[in-house]
Amino acid sequence: MKEAENIFLNLINQHKGIIHKISKMYMKDAEEQRDLFQEIVLQLWKAYPTFKGNSKFTTWMYRVCLNTALIYFKKDNRKVDKAPLDENIDIMDVNENEGKEEKLAYLYTAVQELNAIEKALIFLFLENQSHRDIAENLGISEVNARVKLNRTKEKLQFIIKKNGYEF
Amino acid sequence: MNFDDLKNEWNAENPEGSNISTDMLKIKQAHTPIDKIRAKMKHEFFYQLFFLGFMALIPHFFGFSTTVNRVYLITYAITCGFTAYYFFKFYVFYKNSYDMSMDTRKNILWFYYEMKLNIELYKALTYIVAFISVGFLAAYLFIEKAWFFTSILGKLSPVYILLNCFITILIIGAITELWAWFYYGKYLKQVKKVIDELDNE
Repeated sequence: MKEAENIFLNLINQHKGIIHKISKMYMKDAEEQRDLFQEIVLQLWKAYPTFKGNSKFTTWMYRVCLNTALIYFKKDNRKVDKAPLDENIDIMDVNENEGKEEKLAYLYTAVQELNAIEKALIFLFLENQSHRDIAENLGISEVNARVKLNRTKEKLQFIIKKNGYEF
Repeated sequence: MNFDDLKNEWNAENPEGSNISTDMLKIKQAHTPIDKIRAKMKHEFFYQLFFLGFMALIPHFFGFSTTVNRVYLITYAITCGFTAYYFFKFYVFYKNSYDMSMDTRKNILWFYYEMKLNIELYKALTYIVAFISVGFLAAYLFIEKAWFFTSILGKLSPVYILLNCFITILIIGAITELWAWFYYGKYLKQVKKVIDELDNE
């Protein structure tokens, strides 16, 4: 068990950027991002026995992370059980990011106006997933994935323009 | 807007932060809608146990006659039987694990129908307990207050009695539906919204 835990932690720490990015896309508030981050880690750990190594670890991870974010229900109050290290999870705020990675900061702000599925589409697209991979992850047809992604990109462009930013 | 540039910046971004440690794997409470419903059902189980314990004491408080006492015992046994059956079903639901690594459509649909099924089971139990209580009340009035009941029934038209029964059923139904919706509906609504977004062509 301890060995499995170590292997899992090693793998997940190598790819923790995925969890960070999804948390920032799905939650606006920093504390909510931390909660979602924690929930994703928990769901990944619970689902870890289903990872048989037939696909890449990241492929499996995308699914668990997105599925968790899609059905995640915001906590009713803040008095919930948290790991002691929870406060140390650094999820950079959009404002902190400004200057350094301005484009991404605007992107994170703009995606808040997309719905849950549109966020998933943009996320997978930015992660260099092909239309086929996106379709397989979401359980929709490839044509549908292509159409939805194009619409979402147009919508995102419109939001960014509307917010007075262009890149 | 150039999405290729954006992609490059996205992939170059490497959020730093402390490593994920074993402490984060030890949190027991998950927050998927299913987990939320399960937690609420667990609470309800304890309320129900308390309610059944309280019900067992009712004959001592009210000093029922032997006949009413027997009717009450039958009612109580039926209520306990149904409650045990439904809570066994809820227990199976509680223990049933879910697989988050399925594709999104399968995963979301699994959550939706599992939640819907259990909310329907919950409503069925509420209906049964409510109707058993009404049934016992009617039996009690027939036995203990027969003179009053027959004199009242004699004065009322069959249409009025039927209408009253119908309205009673309607009120029980409305309360049950509203309660289930208030208690569990928001979770179902959230998951349904994601399904609609996925199906939206």
